[in-house]
Amino acid sequence: MPSANTHSAFPRPVPLLIALVLLAALALASLCIGDMNLTPARTLDGLLRRGDELATIVIWNMRLPRVLVAMLIGAALSASGLVMQAYFRNSLASPGLLGVSAGGTAGAVAIIGAGLTTHSLLFLPAASILGAFVATACVIALARRGAGAERLLLAGIALNAMLGAVSSYVLSNATLTYERNAQILFWLLGGLEDRTWEHVLVAAPIALFAILLWPLGRQMDLLSLGADEAQSLGVDVRRLRRALLVLSTILTALATAVAGTVGFVGLIVPHMLRLIIGPEHRRLVPLSLIGGAAFVVACDLIGRELGGPAGLRIGIVTSLIGGPFFLWLLRREA
Amino acid sequence: MTPALTISRATIPGRIDGVSLALAPGVMAGLVGPNGSGKSTLLQVAAGILPAPAGAVLWNGQPLARIPMLERGRRAAWVPQDARFEFGFTVRSVVAQGRYAHGDDNRGVDEALARFDLVSLAHRPVNRISGGERQRVLLARAHVTAAPLLLWDEPLAALDPRHALEILLLGNKHTRAGGTLLFSLHDLRMAYILDTVVVMHEGRLRAIGKPAEVLTPALLLEVFGVRTEITPSLSLALP
Repeated sequence: MPSANTHSAFPRPVPLLIALVLLAALALASLCIGDMNLTPARTLDGLLRRGDELATIVIWNMRLPRVLVAMLIGAALSASGLVMQAYFRNSLASPGLLGVSAGGTAGAVAIIGAGLTTHSLLFLPAASILGAFVATACVIALARRGAGAERLLLAGIALNAMLGAVSSYVLSNATLTYERNAQILFWLLGGLEDRTWEHVLVAAPIALFAILLWPLGRQMDLLSLGADEAQSLGVDVRRLRRALLVLSTILTALATAVAGTVGFVGLIVPHMLRLIIGPEHRRLVPLSLIGGAAFVVACDLIGRELGGPAGLRIGIVTSLIGGPFFLWLLRREA
Repeated sequence: MTPALTISRATIPGRIDGVSLALAPGVMAGLVGPNGSGKSTLLQVAAGILPAPAGAVLWNGQPLARIPMLERGRRAAWVPQDARFEFGFTVRSVVAQGRYAHGDDNRGVDEALARFDLVSLAHRPVNRISGGERQRVLLARAHVTAAPLLLWDEPLAALDPRHALEILLLGNKHTRAGGTLLFSLHDLRMAYILDTVVVMHEGRLRAIGKPAEVLTPALLLEVFGVRTEITPSLSLALP
């Protein structure tokens, strides 16, 4: 059991610096390692386009977009989980468990199934955002103010099942072509394979929304200990909650739009960070963004190295790591 | 003199019905009534947490709707009956949250920790302390806001006799300095020694005034269903 004080032993910026160095190291490793291993020197040459043509192509066309997408979705899912935990005052809340990810997936699957993704690249994130907002609205309606932890999580289970059924229906619809079915399956599994600069572009607004989240840390502290109490202390709770809900839903939806369902990131990253640096959101917001990015880059690296020639999809790796962690958490808090 | 707190014809369907009252500055008022009579709802309406669609709430004669949120945090402090703390903030950091509306300047936090007997708990996580300790943390957080209007929901329920007396004394000091305190309680003997009592019954304001005039045997029998008798009994005081 971590003592309440362990985190105050660290000077404030130290964990943030450690996280940044870790993220940089993981990102560099991710650029070097692959079917064709590159030395850090060659990677740098490729990154700076200094004449090494093969390295330049490998880095710029394949690895860099993949690493950037991994970082962006990791940051988005982790921050989204942190926000939901503060919002619902429940450390088990996360985009995956509450069905928000499933909403984004259902939206994406429906739009692929309808064949609309061939018209415009923007249809997919738009549908994903719409699906995620429908799911968020359902969670809010099902778990009204003052509802206990059980009710919230049960609402999430029901939503996950319903939205999963939507995805399954689209998938089982016999009129779909083989190609569309494969594309849908990709979303359901969650993957970073063949990510291009278009995907980076779709995920790029994540950075903007993360910046909007930054100044809300202190208010999240007060909200996470009770909405009525926070309001009495001078927080404009209605406005704060609206902002948090919109931000966390969009973050999850954008992540889902570019990489499909990637589970457990929003649950375990904020949790690990809380164990290390404590519950203050002014520190947790930046650290969960960086930590989430580092976690997904690491999981992607693991999946590529241990998954054989085909690689393990990112959603499988995060679930294999996150699932046991979640069970350990439940046992610990019982 | 402008009342510190004015509630006029506040109605929340199914909970309170047309409640009006006014409390002058310097008044320490006890809010009594059977379970479910609307005490907590009335306190939440007074604090502006529960907006009453019909009726109005005024602080110092100013309608609540015209007071910005942040300023409300400096002018009134509401303490809930109990709080469930999910996250392990330290006792000290929770008390320091009372300074949110003052730009988190931490003023008076150490003094409040000492006054509410929380110094030895200052670094304990707030989700691992007892109910009575939690109650003191909530009261200390309300105290550091330095708000003139205090609204406490059953502040004494979880406290041992010594801490309960200390809290009452603190409330007394606050009102003597010109502040206003409205708090709910179940102990009618305690209510009997206050400046003012407010009696709620089935969502309506049944009576308001000096305890000796309000808490008559007839009213107590009607509202609480108890017969009363004045007898010598155990009385407690701080040494």
